Order: sequence, then C-alpha cells, then structure tokens
Amino acid sequence: MANAAPSANWRAIAPWIVPLLILLGWEASSRAGWLSTRILPEPLAVGTAFWGLLVSGTLVHDVAISTGRALAGLAVGGGLGLVLGLLTGTFRSAETLLDTTLQMIRNVPALALIPLVILWFGIDESAKLFLVAIGVFFPIYLNTYHGIRAVDAGLVEMARSYGLQGWPLYREVILPGALPSILVGLRFSLGLMWVLLIVAETISAQSGIGYMTMNAREFLQTDVVLVGVLLYALLGKLADLVARGLERRLLRWNPAYLGVPA
Amino acid sequence: MQRDWTAPPANGLGLRLHQLRKDFGPRTVLHGIDVDVRPGEFLAIVGRSGCGKSTLLRLLAGLESPTSGQLRLDDAPAGTRRDDVRIMFQEARLLPWRTVLQNVQLGLAAGDGAARARDALAQVGLADRAGDWPSVLSGGQRQRVALARALVHRPRLLLLDEPLGALDALTRIEMQRLIESVWRELRFTAVLVTHDVAEAVALADRVLLVEDGRVALDERVGLARPRAHGSAAFAEIEGRVLARVLKETAQDFGGQARPRLVA
Repeated sequence: MANAAPSANWRAIAPWIVPLLILLGWEASSRAGWLSTRILPEPLAVGTAFWGLLVSGTLVHDVAISTGRALAGLAVGGGLGLVLGLLTGTFRSAETLLDTTLQMIRNVPALALIPLVILWFGIDESAKLFLVAIGVFFPIYLNTYHGIRAVDAGLVEMARSYGLQGWPLYREVILPGALPSILVGLRFSLGLMWVLLIVAETISAQSGIGYMTMNAREFLQTDVVLVGVLLYALLGKLADLVARGLERRLLRWNPAYLGVPA
Repeated sequence: MQRDWTAPPANGLGLRLHQLRKDFGPRTVLHGIDVDVRPGEFLAIVGRSGCGKSTLLRLLAGLESPTSGQLRLDDAPAGTRRDDVRIMFQEARLLPWRTVLQNVQLGLAAGDGAARARDALAQVGLADRAGDWPSVLSGGQRQRVALARALVHRPRLLLLDEPLGALDALTRIEMQRLIESVWRELRFTAVLVTHDVAEAVALADRVLLVEDGRVALDERVGLARPRAHGSAAFAEIEGRVLARVLKETAQDFGGQARPRLVA
C-alpha cells in the first residue's frame, strides 16, 4: 500500500463514523420535536441518566451482578463443553456413547426450557446460571469436538514417530491444532451468553441490568431503559474484543490472524 | 561452533529384509522383499506411483507392520519405534504453532535440547531463522528444518520419503547436495524413496527398482562423489534404470510391447 500511515488512521476512525452520525441525527430529531421522549429520549438525557446511575452506584452494582452471572454461566457451560468436546473428539468410545445424546439436546432451543427451568429452580440465581450455561455449552462443545477431529493426521503421525505420545502429544500437537476451532466456539458462546442473560434477567431478577431496565419500564423511565440497552451493546462488544485478543495472542503463529483489525 | 553432539560419528544401522510381505486387506502391496543394506549405505528406492516403495519405507520406519516376513535393524527385530530411526516426509510436517527452533527440538529432553537444536539448524544453514514461524519459510527452507529435526536425534537410519518431490528444480539440487554432505559427515544409513531416477543415481550407493511389490532391479552406483549429472558414466546408469522402468510401462498397455519407449 502506498499510503500506509493515513490508511491506518482511517481504519481506526472509520468504524465510529456511522455510530456518531446516528447519534447526531437522533439528537437533532429529539431537539426538533420529531421524537417523543416517551419513545426515544434525546442522547443527552440518556447520558445524564447514565451519569446519575453511575454516581449513585446502582449502575456499577447491577453491571457487576450481571457480569458475574454471565461469567459463572460461561465457566460452567463452557468448561463442561470443552471437557466433553475433548473427550468425544479424542476417544471413539466417548463419541459413540455421548454424541448422539448431545446432538439431540442441541436441537432444543435453550429458551424453550424457560418454563421447565422456572419449575425446577424457581426464579433465583441457579435458574439464570442454568440458562446461560446451557446456551454457551453447545458452541464450545461442537467446535472443540470438530477441532480435535480436524487436527492434521500427518502431524500426529510425525509426532508419534518422534516419540511423542499421551499428554505430550496432546499438548504439542492436538490441543494447539484444535485451538483455532475452540476459540471460534468461544466467540459464539460469548455472544449467546449475553442474549441468554438478558432474557433470564428480564423474566425474573432482583438485581442486574435486566432488572434495572424492567424496573425502569414500570416507571416509564425510557432513558434508563436505553442505558440498559446500550450497556448490553458495550458489554457484548467488550466480550468480542476479549475473544479477538485471545485469538491474536494464542494464534499468532497463524498468518490468518496477523494484522486483523480488532 | 561446538558440534560435539555429532561425535563420535553415529554408525549406520544395517538392515536385513527377508521375504517381507505387506497386505492391505485383499491387496498385496509387497510380495516378499529380500534386501540387505550395509551400515552407512545410501540406498535409493525408485519405482512408479503405487509400486509399494513408500509402503516399504513406512515398514522400515515402524509406521506399518509387515504381514509376514522378517525385518531386522542391526539384528534386532523391527516393529517398535526406535529413537535412532528418523523419517522425513514428502511434506515438511512442521508444527505451525511452534517456532522453527521449537520444531527442531520436538521430542528432545529439556536440558541441552535448545543448544543441540541450534547446532542442527546451523548444519542446514538456517541458524538465523530459529525464531520464525514455519508459515513464513519457503518450501525448501521448511524441508531443511525437517532435516534438522531428524538430524538432531543423531539417527543411525534416516528414511526419506520423497522429501524433495514438491520442490522446484534448483532448490532440489541444493537439497540433494545438503543431504549428501550431512550423510557423508555423519555416516548414517540412508534410504531414499523417489521417482526421480536422476536423483537416485546422484545420491545413492545402490538403486533398487520396485515394481508391483517386487525388487525388479538392484543396481550399484560406483561413481565417485560428488557426482556430475552430465558425465557419461552417470548417464549410462541413469539410462539403464530408466529403460527398465519404461519397459514395464510399455507392457502395461494390454501386453503390447512398445519398443519405441525403451531407451
């Protein structure tokens, strides 16, 4: 590229031009009176509400609660998915035994289980944890399983002929070979994690971002509802950034992941 | 540069193949191969695709086990994987997530592994690429790393499964010279599978032609090293082996011999 430096600056700025324009258009429409504050308050009001919630400490509290739930669900569901995926990917017998069952369960949408979850767990923390865990389980399970299966058989044969077996073979060849696929699963899971948490918190919660927005809806505080919606957007983006960061760090050997704009 | 890990020079393994047979299901790939290879000898196995030459090499490497017959390495029955037998594949098969140096270190004990790997890299002329990822190397450089990875184990038997097949002509000649020079220095036994008769004659003490799972020709190459491709003696041996390969090809066409093809 002839003008690499300006293009780097451009790449840093360009993604934010459209959101900025939308924001400006929104503010202008509100000021001109085209938008009722009941439907969509002006961005400035949303900003003020955000600041108010931040200062009072409820925002930090709710975000912390929601993030805690999301990560706990990810740890349980994702951890289980990783372990089972490694198991079915590595051992034929485990695949024969488990894969059919898991594929059947996979076809049940996690959200269809909500009535059952409420009957089982009531509306307390374990219900939310269960929903998030179920949702993030499958992307990680499937991608781990396929990642292990897709490891280059030639590399495995080479490593065996060099005396590697058991755990060293796993650590040197099979896990790194499956890692790109596992990370794809993680990215899918991070997206699903927030979706499921929003639903779970909207149904029933005494704290968290979902509770905050549902509460605000009852009092017609559209600005606070919008703060909640924007928070989800920000947290989702943040999760994606973390996943991409992991990919760039762990897959830096792979030319496909070099120089990808975050 | 210290290179004391190569000393004392590793002695080559002697090979003894007796009535070696390999079936894959109902198909017999090797019908009773009888070959003896002296320690330190450079043997080339040539033949057309599917003649069984790669299977023979994989038997020597312990990657497959024979259906019947005997295979002895220095009078020890083969069959288990050995640390003094190393194989180079047609593709370099480097781990893409390990650096060049880490690839060469594969399977070495932690202690002096890095130092030995560096020495081996220097031996193939790639000391300055130790920290690179394999993805940035050229095909020839990758095969040189694979060669270093094999050499670092001080093999007594080095098996080469068409490792130069995918390289361009110039890189190929360079690699041939490199392989010849390390073989002359380290005196391991080498078995090279190739379908390039000129390459076999350039490198080997002895050229074995395998046809339909049988040894069809066993030709000694007594030329002095390094060998000049253009010399008359070279051309004569190459022509003789080639003629034998092509005659077989001619008979394939429904038994109608086509003498035109016979050089």
